[in-house]
Amino acid sequence: MGVLVELDRVSKQYGGVRALDQVSFTVEAGEWIAIMGPSGSGKTTLINILGGLDSPSSGRVLVDGRDIGPLSEKDLTRYRAEKVGFVFQQFHLIPYLTAVENVMLAQYFHSMTDEKEARESLARVGLADRAEHLPSQLSGGEQQRVTVARALINHPALILADEPTGNLDEANEELVVNLFRELHGEGHTILLVTHDSGIARLADRRIELAHGRLSQVSVLST
Amino acid sequence: MFFRIVGESFSRNPLRKWLAAVALVLGMAITTAALTVALDVGDRLAREFRAFGANLVVSPTADTLPLEIGGVDYRPVEEGSYLPEADLGKLKTIFWRHNIIGFSPFLEVPAILERDSSGPAIRTTLTGTWVNHSVAIPDGTIFQTGVLRTHPWWKVEGAWFDDSKQDCVVGAGLAARTGLKPGDTVTLRFARAGLAPLVQPGQTPSEERHVSMHVTGILSTGGTEEQVVMAPLAVVQALTGRTGEFRRLMVSALTRPEDEFSRRDPSTMSKAEYDRWFCAPYISSIALQIRQVLPGADVQVIRQVAEGEGRILTRITALMWLVCIAALLAAGLVVGATAATSVLERHSEIGLMKALGAPMGTVSALFLAEQLVLAFVGGGLGYVAGEGLAYLMGQAVFGVPATGRLILLPVILLLAAAVVLAGSLIPLGRVARLDPAPVLRGE
Repeated sequence: MGVLVELDRVSKQYGGVRALDQVSFTVEAGEWIAIMGPSGSGKTTLINILGGLDSPSSGRVLVDGRDIGPLSEKDLTRYRAEKVGFVFQQFHLIPYLTAVENVMLAQYFHSMTDEKEARESLARVGLADRAEHLPSQLSGGEQQRVTVARALINHPALILADEPTGNLDEANEELVVNLFRELHGEGHTILLVTHDSGIARLADRRIELAHGRLSQVSVLST
Repeated sequence: MFFRIVGESFSRNPLRKWLAAVALVLGMAITTAALTVALDVGDRLAREFRAFGANLVVSPTADTLPLEIGGVDYRPVEEGSYLPEADLGKLKTIFWRHNIIGFSPFLEVPAILERDSSGPAIRTTLTGTWVNHSVAIPDGTIFQTGVLRTHPWWKVEGAWFDDSKQDCVVGAGLAARTGLKPGDTVTLRFARAGLAPLVQPGQTPSEERHVSMHVTGILSTGGTEEQVVMAPLAVVQALTGRTGEFRRLMVSALTRPEDEFSRRDPSTMSKAEYDRWFCAPYISSIALQIRQVLPGADVQVIRQVAEGEGRILTRITALMWLVCIAALLAAGLVVGATAATSVLERHSEIGLMKALGAPMGTVSALFLAEQLVLAFVGGGLGYVAGEGLAYLMGQAVFGVPATGRLILLPVILLLAAAVVLAGSLIPLGRVARLDPAPVLRGE
């Protein structure tokens, strides 16, 4: 498959706080990586840097062979639209747009909207019959599945999920986790931040951070 | 998607949108009214100013200096030069012909006034002019003019003379000295043209002419005309042998206030400057155009009138512009405040859009589109309200409603757009600086 992501001694400094400290690892295309660690260990900073929402203070971040560290704000914006699909803990759906419109929003910022494709993406996450519902009319699990559909719509190289089950009850958590398993089975590359070791066990590898440093890399499945 | 998001923004927090819209409507209404009045005030005040009299005086270039004592011109008829009355119709053929709202020729001749054969003889001037005369214009039309147009503040106790009769009005000062009143008859003695100067009171040489006139009224002007006898121009021309001629012409013209450019010497102007100057209703350019159609005429601007008008017009126009700026500033501040609140309220939405890869241009366009819709709706309604306001202001101040100007509509819409854009600059800057990462973490 080949290396899709490569971090080479990546550090991030916020004033006097070192959020990431010389972090290096690689991610193969199609791999599912679980990122774990206590609060303040640098998990979200790592996801933000990989997602082009933040830049490293030092080190190199290669995604698909391209160093995203030196990219301009404009190029990072384009990178986010083309290469990354985000799934957030707090869903972050536009409240006045329907489920299908929320999916189409990502299309709109990428290139052009295609409602048929957006509906197919919703169908892919089991929400074909909820396409016209507003986020407020959907359960937490359904809202998170809409964000997954939105993350998938532009066929990104990388899916970044920051505690996607953090706000879900057990039943919905299972639905979403199963969805990630299916995506992984289809060959998507996933980096998923979680505190849940049960979810982490489903990943190919587990990367643990502590105080901004890589403390452990575990291979969990074959 | 773009229009969906923009359209949806108006259904959320409509109170804030209404507040911004009302501020814009008010601001644009005041601006429209002030602009309408400011554009109209020049014409209106120019017409009002014309009630203060003529602003141009035309005399023969080769004329001698007037010999006036106490308002009486003592020059004999045969002295000085004259201008042909037949040329006067040409005044309504110049480029700014529509701005010539009236003119009155004057022909003055020294005379001795006698109320009756036994009464005292008083030295005075017989002045010929038009009261309300029909002038044939070269294009075949007729133009009514005379002192009723050029000197509307002159008051007559009794009635003005008929231009076609041998009647006269007597100045109030002269009437007070002689006891003349409407209905009396006066006798005037004066020398015929080409003969010896006027004889002294009490003498009656054979070359002298006598004329008796019926007094139709007593003239009050507040000026030297109160010491003269005024009669129809044709009568004075016939009596003096100066048929078809006059010595002085008072012209009343609607003009634009003078400025630095208008005061420049036309001979120093480039062709483009000269064309601009010539095609503007400056009193100096109208004077030149009159000079061009009246050969041998010297046209002088009555400076104190023209400059006084200019000063008042400039100040009123400046006041209107200040009102416009204040209204626009107030509207801009309200729009800016509501836009800033909008950005604050929607920062998580904006952060999400940026995280999803929305270019800054797209996010700004979404935000600006909302503001522009507001501007066009507010500007359009403000224009309608402003024209209504201008109508009332015109009626109240000038007694005539201000004329609506459709050309102001695009100007107002552009101004409204400029106001909302200016008011949105700071909120837009905040949008540009918004870092999506903390927003997505709920910070």
